[in-house]
Parts: sequence; structure tokens; C-alpha cells
Amino acid sequence: MADIHTFKHHAMATYFEARIAGEEPGYAAQAAQAALDLLDKLEAHLSRFRPNSALAQIAALMPGESMRLSEPVFACLAIAKRMEAATRGAFSATAAALQSQTAPPQWTLMPEDRSIRNESGRLAFDLGAIGKGFALDRMGELLREWGCCSFLLVAGGSSILAGDSPRDTAGWSCGLGDGHAVQRLWLQQASLSGSGLAVKGAHILDPRTGRPAPRQNRAWALADTAAESDALSTASMVLTEPALQEVLAPEPSWLVFLETGDTARALGHRPLPPQG
Amino acid sequence: MVNPLLNRREFIGATAVAGAGLLLDACKSDAGKQAASPHASSSNSLNIALIGYGEEGKILLDSILNIKDVRVVALCDIWDFHRNEGARYLGKIGNEVRAYENYEDLLEKEKDLQAVVIATPDFWHAPMTNAALKTGLHVYCEKMMSNTIDGARSMVQTMRETGKLLQIGHQRRSNPRYLFSLNRLLHEAQFCGRLTAAQAQWNRAVKEDFGWPKKYAMPPALLARYGYKDMHRFRNWRWYKGMGGGPLSDLGAHQIDIFNWWLGTLPRSVMASGGRDYYKDHDWYDNAMVIYEYPLAEGVARAFYQVQTTTSAGGGYFEMFMGDDGTIKMSEDPSICAIYREARATAVSWDDLVQKGYVSPKPVSADAAKVDVRETAQLAEYQIPVFFNKPVHQPHLENFFNAIRGTAKLNCPGDEAFSSEYVIHKANEAVAAQARLVITPEEARA
Repeated sequence: MADIHTFKHHAMATYFEARIAGEEPGYAAQAAQAALDLLDKLEAHLSRFRPNSALAQIAALMPGESMRLSEPVFACLAIAKRMEAATRGAFSATAAALQSQTAPPQWTLMPEDRSIRNESGRLAFDLGAIGKGFALDRMGELLREWGCCSFLLVAGGSSILAGDSPRDTAGWSCGLGDGHAVQRLWLQQASLSGSGLAVKGAHILDPRTGRPAPRQNRAWALADTAAESDALSTASMVLTEPALQEVLAPEPSWLVFLETGDTARALGHRPLPPQG
Repeated sequence: MVNPLLNRREFIGATAVAGAGLLLDACKSDAGKQAASPHASSSNSLNIALIGYGEEGKILLDSILNIKDVRVVALCDIWDFHRNEGARYLGKIGNEVRAYENYEDLLEKEKDLQAVVIATPDFWHAPMTNAALKTGLHVYCEKMMSNTIDGARSMVQTMRETGKLLQIGHQRRSNPRYLFSLNRLLHEAQFCGRLTAAQAQWNRAVKEDFGWPKKYAMPPALLARYGYKDMHRFRNWRWYKGMGGGPLSDLGAHQIDIFNWWLGTLPRSVMASGGRDYYKDHDWYDNAMVIYEYPLAEGVARAFYQVQTTTSAGGGYFEMFMGDDGTIKMSEDPSICAIYREARATAVSWDDLVQKGYVSPKPVSADAAKVDVRETAQLAEYQIPVFFNKPVHQPHLENFFNAIRGTAKLNCPGDEAFSSEYVIHKANEAVAAQARLVITPEEARA
């Protein structure tokens, strides 16, 4: 097993880890620092709790009003919109809207000037179910630019992004669940995210009804990007199994695992990664 | 008249009380001294260049892009990694720019510029600013003005000779919350009573020096041409003498400037202690504690500043002004801002202050209300009634662009910034001398 250097950081109300393999320790530390600095900047952009953040400003937009967005906010919302459509509304960047509004707010992204327009309602974005994954993707891009291609990035234990395998391994060993994981997978160039009720209780809402998500067991999603797996794992808590099958049908890069007793059952067309 | 920087949304509470218009007026930048003649062009649109696309340049660019009628037409950075990143970033929104390695090339070739924004390492500020002013451009230059007092003084001199505007990037001077709190709360309402002390800090956790992707390292000859010994010095210039001034100038500059601004005068002395405790290969101190003495009309006020490499969990970054009646705690982070008032300060009641719009009651949460079933009454809490949600650099840039158009005066012109610059340099000198240094008004003014 190659030397793996691990760096930790607190952001987005959880912990992050950057593990880098096959690099000289000093260079790995500087690359990890650059990635974690980027994480802090992304948090400042994406947080809904900071009055100066874009999300706070968007929340103040009246219907018909628009505002220009920074590149990362626009990019993250564009992915959120795509995931909202792909999951048929089971994932939503305004998942809690029905708690305080009678209908989900409507919004349009305008790429020509990188802006957003409020079409109706109040745009109370909560990117908690996609922001961490988005941050991991951006950190991964940065590490590749630094030439540190063998990495594993961890966000709060609920999302990971694997780069190239450490030398002489089949990938990064990732468990579905905790230390007594029901299943372990060797991952490379892929992201895995998990959702469940064990840690935070019933915090996942069905954006379509405003009620708590029906699934009681955990769900995991495997995808090429962490933003996708993050959003898809949340959507998997909300969708019925037939509806989930329909969502997965046109997406060859997605795979979902549903916890069933002591096993995790795979749904979707992405080939199962090596198990170990 | 309400300043365009302060629209209805930026004030919650203030608009609901008597005198709100006056409160808004307190924060505006009027046309007048330090305002340029409107550009000969009939258009309000300004063409600008950004020189330096590092960490600060990226922040400034994002704010500039939020401002109407300002177009970035050229971008300069000696590092192609950053230069290309900036050009790509702008290109994605259809804002094509001409990219330059060398600022002199930019100044020579760009014939339709009105201003430049400079966000390069400190030791390049004076030559770049002086050259741009002499080319006939207005300049927004990041703080510190220079890594030397002489460099900063030369910038003021060129500003005066050319008649062009020079705004220094102490962005808190255009922050509506700071403006309101200074003009209305501190001055007009005399909220603090007699000011006796100020305190400010910006502490940070230990972290790695900045690195760089190996494949984008600049060749030694290119680095040498621009005054850098190697890539490490280029990426970590703030820590090295001859290029930057260490944490006291990187972080302290913003906050020590607030001491001068809010106390309305210059310190008469500075004493300090500091050292290189963590980073043995740096030139500048990573820990410093500084005490200034400000001669105010009602007596001496002492101002303590610290910038430490310890932990970031020390209460964040803020500036606090303390008097015998009350305290105002300011920060760019609104969650840190707070106001305290002694029970003895009865001349003006909280209710009066609320009525006049100087403060607003803090909203009481539903959970907190449940506590009221107990016998002991809960003290009401109050806050500064300014809601400001723009990126923190944006108002200062807007102030600069409005001054170019002749509709505002600069909030931090070079000559005023020089006084802060001087006393910040003196703090570093005091650490080195391990002594109390006297500061005279004559030497601290350009």
C-alpha cells in the first residue's frame, strides 16, 4: 500500500478529509491546503446562514427580480436544477419550501449573464443535500490540476469522491455504512453518498409534499460526480422503489443501494464496482 | 436623498422608524472633494483593467462583476496559471479580456481605460499606481499602499500631481454598517459615552504555506524579472521583507485603519511585542500584540490590536470601541457585531434609541419566549439596525466608480489612507525595537 497522507478540516457544519496517495508529504500537504482553502471559499458562497452569501441575497429576491451569481453558485444551482428534473422532483434545492409556502418556488437560470430570476414564491435555497458533493467535485478538480490524481475526499462521512487508486490497490475501500459496513466496494474515479435517518433523525423532506421522507432504511448512491451522488442519495430516500427504477433507467452512470436487513441491494445499470 | 448604495433592503428596522431618511443620509458618500470630473464620454460606462488575479484579485473581480456599467476589458498577472484562469472565468460569461503579463504593456496598449484596480503584492503597488496615475487613469489599489512608507508617500504625491483619484482598499470605510454605526451611533447618539479603549483582533490557525501546482511553476528568469527569488517567495510574499509586511499589514491594516477612522485622530505612540514563533523560515512575525495611545479631547484612549497564529476559535475578527457608557463591536461578519450599554447610561434610554432608529430590538425567538414564564424578567437585547448583504468589497468599489463619475467622493483617498499606513508600519518597527515609539502628526501625514 502506498503512503497515504490525511488532512482534516471543519466546514459546512461537518468534517472533511483529504487523503492523498503517492506524493511527497510536503507537496501533498500544500495541495490539500489549497483544496481545503477552496472548500472554505465555496462554503462562503453556498451557505444560507451568512447574510453576505449569494443564497441570502437570492432569498430576498421578489418574483420577477433577478441577480447575477458567482461562478460556483451558478454552477451548483445548475446541477441542482438538473438533478431536480432527473429525479422528478424527489431532490430539490428548495426542499423545505412547502413548510412555509403553499407551492414550490419557481426559478430560472440565465447562462448568458450567469444570473437567476425568481419566477414565483420565495427562493429559500438549502444546498445541504448537494453542496458538500459539489465542493468535493471542485476539490477533486483542483487536486488533479496539482497532479495529485490519487486521492480520496470525504465530506462528513456521508459523501466521498475517489480519484485514481493508490498504487497496487484495486481502489479506495469504501463501506456502505459505518465500521460494520454491510458491504465494501473498491472505488476509483467515482463518488459514493449515503443518506439515512440514523444520525440526524427525520431531517429529509419530500419536496413534493413537504412531509418527511418515507424510507426508514439507508440509501446510497454511486455516480461519477459527488454532486450527483449527494443529490441522488437524498432522492432515493424519497422515491418509491418503482419510481426510483424509472429515475435510474436513463442514467447509465448511476447506481443506488437500498439497505434491506443486513444487505444492500443494488438498483440501476451502472456496473457494480469490485467488492472487497 | 437616499444613497444608491443603501436601498430599502439594506435597512431593516431603520426604514420603519422616524428619521430613517436622515439615518440613510448618514451613510452616504456625497459628491464634492476628491470627486473627479465626469469622464469626457457621455456614457456612464467605465472600462477598467484588473492588475493582479491572485486571491484578492479574484474577490475583487466577483464584486466588480456585480456592478453595472463597469466593464473589465484587460487583465494582467505575471503567472500564466492565474492569468489564463481569469481570462477563462470572464470568457464564460462572454466578457472577453485582453490578457497581459506585464502591467507596463497593458498601460501602453490599452487606450480606452478609465481606471485600473490593483491587487498585486504590496511591493508592486507604488510603481504600478504611480505609472497608472501618470498614464491618466484613476486607481483603486489594495492595501497596504506599499511595503515602505516612502513608496506610500510617493503614491500620494503622484495622486496630487496628476489630479487623478486614488482609492485605497480599506473596504470597511464604505460598509453601510460601519458608516451608520460611526456616524449615528458613536458620534450622534454618543452611545459609548467617553471613549477610553478600543480593541481589535484577527487570529488564525496554523496552516501550510501556499504551494503551487508543479506543472505551472514559473521559470526562474521570469520570477527574477519581477523581483521574486523563487516560487515559494512568489506565493508567500506577505511573509517576506522587501515584498510585504506580515500579518500586521495583511490583516492588521484593515483594523488599525478603523482605529484611526473611528477615533478621528492619529495615535501619539505605539508599543508592541511579537515574534516568529511558528514559521522559522519567514521574515515577518506570526504573532504580534500592539498598543496605541490616542489623544482624544476628553482624555487618552488606548487601542490594543492582536494578530496571532494560534487558533481561529478566539472569537473571530472584530473591532471594539469601549467607553464608560457602552461598547460597539464591529466586524465584517454581522453575526459578530454587537452593542452593549451600561445600566448607568440613563441619559438616553434604549427606548429613545429605538425610537430614533439608532438601534433595534433583537427579535425574540419562540423558544426564548417560553423562558418568560419564570419570575425573573429577561433583559431586552438590541442590535445595529443595518442589514447589509452585498459582498463586503462591493460598496467600496462602487464608491470608487461613482467618484470617477463625479457622483460621490472617495471614502478612502490615498492621503487619508497614508496616515493609517504610517502607523501600521510603525507597529512593525515597534516589534523590532521592543520599545515605545513616538508618532508625531507631522510625520504621519503625507
